[in-house]
Amino acid sequence: MTPADAASAEKWNLRLYTAGQSPKSLAALANLKRVCEEHLAGRYSIEVVDLLKNPRLAKDDQIVAIPTLVRKLPEPLRRLVGDLSDTERTLVGLQLRPRQ
Amino acid sequence: MQQQSFEQELELLRERLQEAEEMHRAISHGEVDAFVVGPGGDGRVLLLANAYQRYRQLVERMQQGAVTATPNGQVLFSNQRFADMLGVPIAQLYTAPVESYVGIGDRARLSSFLMLSARNSQIEVELSRRDGTSIPVRISIASFADGYATLLVTDMRPVQWPSLAVDALDSIRNSVEKLNHNLAGDGPAREALRDISEEINGLSRMIDEMLDVEAMGGQRSKGNP
Repeated sequence: MTPADAASAEKWNLRLYTAGQSPKSLAALANLKRVCEEHLAGRYSIEVVDLLKNPRLAKDDQIVAIPTLVRKLPEPLRRLVGDLSDTERTLVGLQLRPRQ
Repeated sequence: MQQQSFEQELELLRERLQEAEEMHRAISHGEVDAFVVGPGGDGRVLLLANAYQRYRQLVERMQQGAVTATPNGQVLFSNQRFADMLGVPIAQLYTAPVESYVGIGDRARLSSFLMLSARNSQIEVELSRRDGTSIPVRISIASFADGYATLLVTDMRPVQWPSLAVDALDSIRNSVEKLNHNLAGDGPAREALRDISEEINGLSRMIDEMLDVEAMGGQRSKGNP
């Protein structure tokens, strides 16, 4: 199954770890929403976890730098660090596009 | 069997190396602005930008709701005050459509307002609270760039209370006058009504004075540079 085939069939469960409304966190959320709407419309959910309020939650997904996106589903779990401003890199990281 | 185990371990190590390289790249490109530090589950979050922290505190403590909406009208940012106005947890607001939090009759107007925000400065709508009640608010555009609108949301109830109180007092005064007319032959009752009328007049004068003070304050602040 190609990454594109997988994307068309499965429900995507994404978790974005943020630091309140820091500029990079906001940028990551905006970029993530744009990518999801373009490639996963109607088949994704985004959970935003604010580590400024609950820093202990960082342990669950071994978060070190913020923002970090974790793809919970489809498996396998994948982590993307940064503001997701590089769309190509984000698509490859999420396995929505094959690595060149 | 041993070969298979070796390959699995190699694949796992490749993934970890890839993640480490990715994190290094993101940090060196300035794509992160906070880190989790500390052992185990006792981590603390360290923000990189002090200026941002001060700005954040200002926005979080202000008495107006602040919302940044994406070009398609979804909440990208909200301060705590806006969540309090709606009576919902702040996390529930992220990515929700702004329009879903105003009365059904106001949604089309708000949508037009967001699209034409460069030309219109403010709009008054009813916010729909989670408990089923609604509150009147004034929404104004604080900034608008690249389709992202930052809105300031002001609770209009404190502004409306004095005029609502004046209306209520006028209504009571009319009722008292009718009662006074009907009780023409009852001296003690009319005396009691006269006392009530004086109380009403006293309250009315207090509200008028409050409104005068507010109006003078508004004129003073307009006069200052």
